[in-house]
Amino acid sequence: MYYVAEINEEACVANKGCRLCIMYCPEANCIMMNDEKKVAFVVESRCKGCELCVVVCDAAKHKAITMQDR
Amino acid sequence: MSKEKIVINPEFWDIIPQDYRDLVDHATYGKTDRGWKDVGSSTELIAEHSLCAGCPESIAFRHIMASIPAPEDTVMVGSTGCTSLVFPMVAVQNIHSLFGNQNAIATGLKRALAYRFPNQTKDVIVLAGDGATVDIGLDMTLQSWFRQEKFTTICFDNELYANTGGQESGLMQKGFVAKMAPQGKKFEKVRLPEIARESGCAYVAVLTTSKPSLVERVVKQAVLIAREIGPTYLQIYTPCILEIGKQSMEGLQEMRDSESAGERFKFREFITPEAQAFIDDMNAKKKADKLAASANN
Repeated sequence: MYYVAEINEEACVANKGCRLCIMYCPEANCIMMNDEKKVAFVVESRCKGCELCVVVCDAAKHKAITMQDR
Repeated sequence: MSKEKIVINPEFWDIIPQDYRDLVDHATYGKTDRGWKDVGSSTELIAEHSLCAGCPESIAFRHIMASIPAPEDTVMVGSTGCTSLVFPMVAVQNIHSLFGNQNAIATGLKRALAYRFPNQTKDVIVLAGDGATVDIGLDMTLQSWFRQEKFTTICFDNELYANTGGQESGLMQKGFVAKMAPQGKKFEKVRLPEIARESGCAYVAVLTTSKPSLVERVVKQAVLIAREIGPTYLQIYTPCILEIGKQSMEGLQEMRDSESAGERFKFREFITPEAQAFIDDMNAKKKADKLAASANN
């Protein structure tokens, strides 16, 4: 079982220029931009479940990222 | 090396690993305006490293790899420590040195590159931990600055020997108790940024990696000044969350706390007048180019 981040596309505000989770994720190429939908998405095989993205997203009051058991 | 020199035979394209194909198609080699803004929509020059979940050092690594002005013409020199776990996964030429002699190796490398490629610009960047830079390799670090070797030294300062279980290092703060230093440190943290300034570095900066735009500006300045003027030194706070007893998601807050006013990693930089003139000149040129470009449009 893995513990990974999941981004709620409706709550994500990447279309307004927010890049917080992408900036602070310690893993490279893990949280990426979907350029068509203008939302961020998680590459689950690279996520180590550190929850840093949840912390920065919640601190900015977007609350778009939750942790999931897979 | 330019990107054109590595061309994959189209016959073999389908058996090349996906990660490599991504680097060829979507990485930011050869772009003069590359920076952290490209992160997320391009392939980064670092992938699937083996550092712990939430490690601030890997955030620093990402920001630095995104900010290097010319990755295709850069050689990085690493040393023993957690950074040596990452270098095999970095898509920039790199050398792993012995513990402590990274600045001596970079010296020889820089001179050899200047001799071998007299008409090209080659950057050398040393990236090592605080043990390699300040304790074991202090001799080599200082001597390279005394000799005015033109390369950038970046120190990932986690204030202890994290990789081996938490022994005391020269950059540890006074009184700090670590797992393998139970009595607490009895001396002050070595003031290496000030020593670097006095040893002849043209540009010195102390920062954390909590602001990617700041890291980008500082890394670019350091590499460009090292090309033209003299040695440069960056000290970046990358706390080891395991050794200071934090959770994986608390590294960012730890960095923000340690850079607030009066704390030990409050952003500060020292720049020589010559280097400042060079940076001002470069910024003015960039501005003029931008104006000319917008006038043409």
